[in-house]
Amino acid sequence: MSALTGVAVGALLLLAGAFWPAPNQVSSSPAAVAAVADPAPAPRVTAASSTPRPGTAPVGLRIPALGVDVPVLPVGVDRDSGGMAIPEDVATVGWYRYGSGFDAEQGSTVLAGHVDRAGQEGALFDLRELEPGATLVLAGPDGQVRSYAVVARDQWSKDQVPLDRLFARTGAPRLVVITCGGPFDESTRSYRDNVVVTAVPTGGP
Amino acid sequence: MIPTRRILTVVAAATLALSTSVGLAGAAYAAEGDQPAQVSVVHGIPGQAVDVYVNGTETVSDFAPGTVAGPLELPAGTYDLAVRAAGAPVSEAPLVAAEDAEVPAGANISVVAHLSEQGQPTLTPFVNDVGSVPAGDARLVVRHTAAAPAVDVRVDGQAALTGLTNPNSAQADVPAGTVSADVVLAGTDDVVIGPASLDLGEGTVTVAYAIGSASDNTLQLVTQTITGAHSAPGGVAGGSGGLADDGLPVGLGLGVLGLLVLAGSGAAWVRARS
Repeated sequence: MSALTGVAVGALLLLAGAFWPAPNQVSSSPAAVAAVADPAPAPRVTAASSTPRPGTAPVGLRIPALGVDVPVLPVGVDRDSGGMAIPEDVATVGWYRYGSGFDAEQGSTVLAGHVDRAGQEGALFDLRELEPGATLVLAGPDGQVRSYAVVARDQWSKDQVPLDRLFARTGAPRLVVITCGGPFDESTRSYRDNVVVTAVPTGGP
Repeated sequence: MIPTRRILTVVAAATLALSTSVGLAGAAYAAEGDQPAQVSVVHGIPGQAVDVYVNGTETVSDFAPGTVAGPLELPAGTYDLAVRAAGAPVSEAPLVAAEDAEVPAGANISVVAHLSEQGQPTLTPFVNDVGSVPAGDARLVVRHTAAAPAVDVRVDGQAALTGLTNPNSAQADVPAGTVSADVVLAGTDDVVIGPASLDLGEGTVTVAYAIGSASDNTLQLVTQTITGAHSAPGGVAGGSGGLADDGLPVGLGLGVLGLLVLAGSGAAWVRARS
């Protein structure tokens, strides 16, 4: 190409680079995050005569802004890693069965899914682009739904992610959706970071 | 186990000097060292309902055998405990008593009125381990508080906690779920209690007490569940494909490419004009 064309192309690329949005930008109000994500002080342990009732399982998740409409399955703990078990099917999202459930009045209802696996993009592939204010809808039993609005999107390296806060079972009720992101390590086939969206209830059930 | 001086004593005085009241739920505590203790009481002596006195005040009334009362929130300190037949006047000798029982700040304790191995009424305090239970697990605690020889506790047919004697406690963290538990004479298959279905909730501590008397054929299992001891899982590993890799920021890459093209084209343009 001619030198002049080259200069023009170069200038355009430079401009594009300058304005390209950073992928892991946290776009949320720190105050909102603190209010939602900081759990109440550790619950006082009390004796009870019966075991607490498990949470009601959500059955589906919709994120209209991302075109996500997927089933949700209860999951527990991966016995080998001690981490939250995640459905192998990338088009399915897991709900942490030991925490708060669909109709929780306190604590985190935690969902997680693979960002990708074996060459397939997962249901939560675009979670890192979800903006505050966006709507999430949880489907529960008997056709009930519960809607939420995003208050925070965060990205932490896995050795810094505040798991106790995200999985808290007390405090204001919230929906926490987790997947992976950040730099990918070819040797371990894993991502460095967790991408986490926190949302507060806005309606139903 | 908290050491106490357990004294079987005839209480002659109608009232004991009271300087501390019980049940201070709702009081504010300035420092962690002032955290109240949570104290449950287990009635493991078969045959009659009882009243439980704490520092001379009737605190649990008409307490049926085989049941658990509490938890009471008690400030840290030492307490006198007495158990009398339900409705008996304070002047009557207690069935069993303990003086200067130590209650540490922030502890979770179960005090059990039970029979010794020889069948004598006694009081034993146990500290409940309510430290973090690993995610996905439940803590099973078994206490031998019955007039019976050493026993093994079997869970789903397998020996889980073995060689337990009166008045001792054993525990294990196991996968959460519902299990079938029974109690056999140690080293044998002679079932003395159960089987009983135990719902071991995730993140909870389930305490099972063997109470009663083997010779009177009154052996039974009494359970209490303590909640709030759970832990978060160790991580969320969600992705192994590499398609979402954003290790090199796109903006930076474009900018660098732009600079290179600009520099190369700019140099060529200058040369062409010179």
